[in-house]
Amino acid sequence: MKFIGLLAAAVLATANCLWAQELYVNTEPASNMATHSLGIRAENQGFFNPVFKNRSTLELMYGFSKHLMVHGSLYKSNFYQADQRVEGGSVYAKYRFLSVDSVQSHFRGAVFGKFSRINNGVYNQEINLEGDNSGYQAGLVFTKLAHKLAISGSASYLRALNNGAYHLIPGNARDAVGYTLSAGYLLFPKTYESYDQVNVNLYVELLGKTNPGYQQSYLDVAPAIQFIFDSVLRVDLSYRAPLYNNMIRNSNNMYLVRVEYNIFNLFN
Amino acid sequence: MKTLKIFLALVALSTGVANAQFTKAELQVSGLTCSMCSKATEKSLRTLGFIGDIKADLNRNVFVLTFKNNARVNLDQINKKVQGAGFSVSNLKATFNFANVKITDNQFNYGGENYRIVSPLNKMPEGLATFTVVNKGFAPASVYKKYSSAFAGDAKAGKVYHITI
Repeated sequence: MKFIGLLAAAVLATANCLWAQELYVNTEPASNMATHSLGIRAENQGFFNPVFKNRSTLELMYGFSKHLMVHGSLYKSNFYQADQRVEGGSVYAKYRFLSVDSVQSHFRGAVFGKFSRINNGVYNQEINLEGDNSGYQAGLVFTKLAHKLAISGSASYLRALNNGAYHLIPGNARDAVGYTLSAGYLLFPKTYESYDQVNVNLYVELLGKTNPGYQQSYLDVAPAIQFIFDSVLRVDLSYRAPLYNNMIRNSNNMYLVRVEYNIFNLFN
Repeated sequence: MKTLKIFLALVALSTGVANAQFTKAELQVSGLTCSMCSKATEKSLRTLGFIGDIKADLNRNVFVLTFKNNARVNLDQINKKVQGAGFSVSNLKATFNFANVKITDNQFNYGGENYRIVSPLNKMPEGLATFTVVNKGFAPASVYKKYSSAFAGDAKAGKVYHITI
């Protein structure tokens, strides 16, 4: 825990002398997309040990109003067999209920929910709605952005359901608690001149889950770098590794590569 | 004859309205921190038919809006577009042509909406002048609270913009 404290302090100190960003790579901020905007994401996550396995995600995100945004995702991987196959999908909705804005700073709060339907065998102790488990999730997220510092924290409850014909392992946890803490800052440009400038953002995120009553938990650290081109095309690169882990999951270490394209004002 | 008189009166009235118009506005937006957010906001504002051009100052989070000639400008719609993009208006300073505008009791009408000058009182602006909107949603809390006593004087029906010159 001491290490995490030091890490958090280091993140705060670094972020404090630069501009902040909240377009987190491994989590969602409390802020929403612009109304009637569509975001299209193609993502690949994977690991190399003991063999190379990877999962691709196609995700569509839409801003319905200033309060509500919705994501829909499809998952495909070779995690559970030799060949790639479609595993199922999920829907996610986020409702922003708090927004305190001033120039170059804001504090936002949102509630979110997720439902996933996955058709994989269940082998892990981790409950993961991004391709491994059918289930649902509900949580709260708060994001504080103060010109030079963007910090976001979330807590959520997850409940696993049977994956169709594949039942949960008897004796395994059906409930989990998830928590995240994210910090981000803008590396480039130092001064904004136009929309065409490439933005480079750095992030450090802490991603944790616990199965209450089972003494199973993990806490990962996930540094990430992000490039934004022409203010519409976003490229994310991240790698997550455990600070602590005693939970059976697909892999402790995973890379993430993502491309996101945004279309503003799809309907007026 | 009566119909013709009414018609002429209407023409005169509409000409008066045409003279009284917005030329541009400086819009400062709260909560913006990335060029992606600014772009979303600008694109959203551009969907308003009365906006001719937008110049963004990305460091100050200011958008300079140039309005189309003789187009009826609706400030509430500007506010709605900014909020729809996920942000808020922190300051809106508009340049307005007061020629032919009849100001009575610190109030005037533009485009069917009422504007009340809350500061300075009983001063008649002439020609091109700039004003700042101090309603809730257009200004920081400290600013609109300062002028909130003026809201009590509003008619119940319809929108009233409170402005300082």
